[in-house]
Amino acid sequence: MSRFTFKSLVSRSLRVIDRIGAPEPVHAHCDIPCGIYDPHLAQIGALTVIRMNQLIDALPAQPDAASRHSFVRYTLVKEEHAELVKREVRVIYGDYFKPEHADKYPELQGLVWKLLKGAGKGRQEINMEAAQQLLADLHRFAEIFWETKGVATKKQPSNQAVGGEIVVPA
Amino acid sequence: MLRAAIAVLARAAPVTRYIVEGDSMEPAYSAGERVVVNRLAYLLRPPVAGDVVVVRDPEDRGRLLLKRVSADPAAATARGACYVLGDNAAASRDSRAFGPVPRRAVIGKAWFRY
Repeated sequence: MSRFTFKSLVSRSLRVIDRIGAPEPVHAHCDIPCGIYDPHLAQIGALTVIRMNQLIDALPAQPDAASRHSFVRYTLVKEEHAELVKREVRVIYGDYFKPEHADKYPELQGLVWKLLKGAGKGRQEINMEAAQQLLADLHRFAEIFWETKGVATKKQPSNQAVGGEIVVPA
Repeated sequence: MLRAAIAVLARAAPVTRYIVEGDSMEPAYSAGERVVVNRLAYLLRPPVAGDVVVVRDPEDRGRLLLKRVSADPAAATARGACYVLGDNAAASRDSRAFGPVPRRAVIGKAWFRY
């Protein structure tokens, strides 16, 4: 029997054994933060989506050239910032959160799904309720994020024209 | 029954199966790779620089780490201790952080992947 087939035979046998009793995990984890993550930008994105909804709602019912121009600009900014929310959530979820976080916060996977869908809705519609819900979901996302780093959080006013609150480290 | 038998045999066996989690040993070992570790490798000789070993985490005794034995940069390692580093230095917490690990914390030597 050649060495090659012997090797694959051993390999195959061990894999069968693995199926009966899983091998023990050995950690070669990245324990030094490889990057800087912060859910702040996502919340700013959601606040901007809310603000654009406010501004669009305030446009005159009979549009002139100037207000049509504003409408297009507001919509464009709403698109961009809803997309920013998606990007930030994707990066934090994909690069920062680890399987043990998902185990500790069973709501996390569903929350991320909801955030991505909510941000999509933020782009597609003029929908203040959906935009407010997106921000509320991001509050929870930010709380979980900081909790995994052992950092306490608080809700504070955004101190922007849009109103609303953001979650920041306490 | 079979599961229990394998668990008992695995405890007594001189080799143990492990699955790698994380990327501090890239590119030699990637996350998800399975490796067989020889627990008898260091009965007669000490670990030497270059060996990939499974060690008990000095900072969390319930956890096992996969690291590579290195020459101690300070050459101050006591006899019977070894200095371990992750290959992917930027993504590894190792002896640079927690110092040399005692010989008894070394479980065994990575033998082959499967």
